Amino acid sequence: MTLTPSLVLTVLLAATPQHPIDFDTQVIPLLTKAGCNSGACHGAAVGRGGFRLSLFGSNPALDHERIVHELEGRRINLARPAESLLIEKPTEQISHEGGTRFDFDGPEAALLIVWIRTGASRLQRRQLERLEIFPREIPFTQTGQSQRLTVSAHFSDGTREDVTRVTVFTSTDEGAVRVDSLGNVQVLRSGLHTIMLRYLDRVEAVRVLLPFADEPVDPAPDSDSFIDREINKTLTRLRIPLSSPADDAELLRRTYLDLTGRLPAPEVVEAWLAADSSDRHARLVDRLLASDAFVDWWTLWWAQLLRVESKSLQAEGARTYHAWLREQVAANRPVDAMLRELLLATGDSYEQGPANFFRVASGPRERAEFLSEALLGIRLRCANCHDHPLDRWTQDDYHGLAAILARIETGRLVQLSDRGEVTHPRTGEAALPRIPGERFLNDRTSALADLADWLVASDNDALARSLVNRIWQRTMGRGLVEPVDDLRATNPPTHPQLLDRLAKDFVDHGCDLRRTIRLIVTSDAYARSSRTLPGNEADTTFYSHGIVRPLSAEVLADAITDVTGIAEKYGDEPTGTRAVVLFDGRAGSATLDILGRCSREGSCQPATAAGDLSRTLHLINGPLLNRKISEPKGRLRQMLGEGRTDDDILREFYLRAFSRHPTEQERQTWLDRFDGLSESQRTAAWEDFLWALLCSREFTNRR
Amino acid sequence: MAPPRTTHSVRLSRRRLLQTGSAAMVSLGLLGRLPAVSAAGKRSPRARRCILIWLDGGPSHLDTFDLKPDAPEEVRGPFAPIDTEVPGIRISEHLPETARQMRHVAVIRSMTSPLGEHNFGSHYLLTGYRPTPVLKYPGYGSVLAHLQPTDGLMPANIAVPDHNSEGGAGFLPGTAGPFDVGSDPARPDFRVQDLDLFAGIDPDRLERRRQFLDTFDRFTEGVETVPPDDAGFDQAYRLVASRDAKRAFDISSEPQTTRDRYGRRSIGQACLLARRLVEAGVPFVTVRDRGWDTHTDLHNRLKEGFTGGTVGKVPTLDLAYSALIADLHDRGLLDDTLVILMGEFGRTPKINTSGGRDHWPRVFSVALAGGGITGGQAIGRSDAHGESPENRPVTPEDLARTVYTLLGINPDHELVTPDGRPVAVNRGGELITELL
Repeated sequence: MTLTPSLVLTVLLAATPQHPIDFDTQVIPLLTKAGCNSGACHGAAVGRGGFRLSLFGSNPALDHERIVHELEGRRINLARPAESLLIEKPTEQISHEGGTRFDFDGPEAALLIVWIRTGASRLQRRQLERLEIFPREIPFTQTGQSQRLTVSAHFSDGTREDVTRVTVFTSTDEGAVRVDSLGNVQVLRSGLHTIMLRYLDRVEAVRVLLPFADEPVDPAPDSDSFIDREINKTLTRLRIPLSSPADDAELLRRTYLDLTGRLPAPEVVEAWLAADSSDRHARLVDRLLASDAFVDWWTLWWAQLLRVESKSLQAEGARTYHAWLREQVAANRPVDAMLRELLLATGDSYEQGPANFFRVASGPRERAEFLSEALLGIRLRCANCHDHPLDRWTQDDYHGLAAILARIETGRLVQLSDRGEVTHPRTGEAALPRIPGERFLNDRTSALADLADWLVASDNDALARSLVNRIWQRTMGRGLVEPVDDLRATNPPTHPQLLDRLAKDFVDHGCDLRRTIRLIVTSDAYARSSRTLPGNEADTTFYSHGIVRPLSAEVLADAITDVTGIAEKYGDEPTGTRAVVLFDGRAGSATLDILGRCSREGSCQPATAAGDLSRTLHLINGPLLNRKISEPKGRLRQMLGEGRTDDDILREFYLRAFSRHPTEQERQTWLDRFDGLSESQRTAAWEDFLWALLCSREFTNRR
Repeated sequence: MAPPRTTHSVRLSRRRLLQTGSAAMVSLGLLGRLPAVSAAGKRSPRARRCILIWLDGGPSHLDTFDLKPDAPEEVRGPFAPIDTEVPGIRISEHLPETARQMRHVAVIRSMTSPLGEHNFGSHYLLTGYRPTPVLKYPGYGSVLAHLQPTDGLMPANIAVPDHNSEGGAGFLPGTAGPFDVGSDPARPDFRVQDLDLFAGIDPDRLERRRQFLDTFDRFTEGVETVPPDDAGFDQAYRLVASRDAKRAFDISSEPQTTRDRYGRRSIGQACLLARRLVEAGVPFVTVRDRGWDTHTDLHNRLKEGFTGGTVGKVPTLDLAYSALIADLHDRGLLDDTLVILMGEFGRTPKINTSGGRDHWPRVFSVALAGGGITGGQAIGRSDAHGESPENRPVTPEDLARTVYTLLGINPDHELVTPDGRPVAVNRGGELITELL
């Protein structure tokens, strides 16, 4: 580079020649872009080399103070600006542990020099109002294509400036799309990718799209459902073909599992397969939404989300709490009202179910983390020790939320105390109560109620977005944002408008859990076959086919019981109690342990794999299956004892386990295996059949 | 940006990379300017097996392998250093047995990472890749199991008692993931569950069940040959059929003196079981020891275990680790068995108000032994308070490249994700040449 600093400066300042340099909106972004205030450098909580900046320039006043006044102003030299440490260090004129951040001859140094020469003041001339990014989405057509992004900032004084050069660009998937420091984007792989942009405190996402195929796919049929319109739009643009609708049996089994956590009874299957009407799936959905089994299954969802278990709540608290949650689900209580009651409940937690809400976390900070993770789907934890590096949460947010929750006493008797504080690690003083990302609360006595009001306020969709994303995951098999407890601007949804619409619909219709579930499971996307087509096998994200996933521990244990006819015993519960209704996540059960249950002590993620070798060994050699298949009172022995034919037994097990009839080929294959066996050989062969059925992929997965 | 002129500036640009932590910079080719890792492909590997002792929660470097006796009290902490058999290397007074094995051990005292959250840090250290939302990377053992399948009887990747899920199969097939032994080998009733056939089930029936299950799955998938799934039935059948495999798990057949030598706590017996397993041909064994997240009361947690006791995390580690190295050495196995001792990060230099130390990834220690490495050395230094690397920063990428190279895996080999994308075994690491 041969330009002199002053020449570069002229070029750089051409956009706003008449204005002096503004520290907050010109110097800070430059430091951010150069990495100076990142968490690994001077933005660390303890700074670096004795020089500390706020993370990503979140606190300009402090940064200005430290740059200009700390160490008797050693960092800037008003008389000879180019000899300021602020110039010499990052350009490595003198030794700098962080290396060369920008060139001495470059525009960054030039701007800093002018700023220092003109007095190094903090003018606060303007504030950022909005960012204009062009384009917001890049539709590429071929691998290797490039496109440049431009970013303009609009400020409160009416000025507008091209800030591309000081915007930080990051690809969320380096293997799929690259971006350089000037905003040049190059696509490497098919798919829908994201480039994150950071300028000052704004984090924005640009979507990059490259179709999977050269030729367009057949357009998806029109749909009244906004879910299908969003899903199909993305699939069409990515040129991913749609699998055909699931067949009747697959859809029936899937709907039963997702709405009730159990398999349909054989007579239900037969009636379903025999019926024929266009709205029978919608009617099935309505019937299941009104069933007790739905209440049990979605109470379990709450119980896992809210960590209902006896270690922290004792059996009495867990039982009461679980029963209360079940009442809410049964009554279809609006979720906002239910959560508001949970946050504010006090009293004897053994008698008052909702009073247990905060008892699952031991101290104010743990409560803050629990509340933000379970209800808002955000991980506030990073902001304990420093401002969150990937998100907008600050230490003030973290400790402020903890401060609100510090006055809750959570012994058996839950009550609000008039004291209780948390220490802010930066100031060493009591943290001010604060609604994260919103505002400080001056009145400590009403802080908890203010928090609850904010959480359920109709103009705040944070709660709704988190909950509908979790509901979507539980029914569709994958969250629109994954992981579901990590919602942040830098982890955008696969279908942003869809998440917006679902959240809005949820709030607009009284936070009605059943309504949202109905919307999802009556969509075409939900009813798609899990069988893949050439061109959509690799899709795990865009819902071109049904997502196959393993049954959860509780559902599998109940299904094994239903098929074999032999109940499992859980803790002290009466024999015959189903796993999905257990009020205590820790109820004694080696079976649930080995099947990989969520003990509800932390947040639960659905299992992604079919289990590990220990579980497989248990299925092969353990008592779980071996006892149940050979039990004299069990379904198999009973049927054999009643003299039922092989054909009959086969049909019964297919109906119970797979919710379908065997195909003719399957039927013939199995009947051949049992042909000509002696009585005892026949029994053993049927046991082996039943064992294999209970281990099979069709049985252990939801398709 | 000028190309690096000297070794010094190479290091600077490398550090710069570490410090900004900007993935974007990687793509701009900064790494491409580093010297080519020429030794990687040519070196003949010596390690045929690997035992990873994973200290879950983040062990304090300042109280184990990198003490700062001259630092102020609130940094120095409660423990003093002692000499080891290697002149110049001093470690914690509660690692006296390890001190006697130091000629086999190389301590890296300048490990550095920016990730101070348990899951993020664990993923980074266990895979050599920073976590991203788009892809879960496979742990060391899973890569090894995937690329170098064993002759079949024993699983290639075993964890005692279980593995940290950040170091599982990642994007590789679940069958490459670790087999969790599941129970604590220090328990008197320890045995690996369900290795023996259920009463009344003979091998013929097991075989028929296998065929029946295969029939179901072929019908469901609509194919003639069913691709293996994550549940690992094939591996399980082999394990059940193998007498040698079962014997390998039978820790009770070890002499009492040997069991005592490793220490009777979980980590000791787990290390002993790990030795039996590698002896039986298992190429990768993880020993996971929990409880290193010592936010409170270092003295009790690390030294005593209970008030007045001598069974804290460090003394029990000392027995287990030193016995494992000595035992492997005595059996002639150490030279081709790599032993890695590490956790996800170190702990804060300054002791907190609860008498503990919090998470600190900027500098921490990792110890390697055996597998053909050069022992008896300390690589890199931390600064006066154990806050940052003073020289020679080593990243988890560097460690991964070195471990894979030692294990005979080409770090540039490309694995393939289920959606068909190539991912190198290691990206961006530099060999730690002092070890080789």
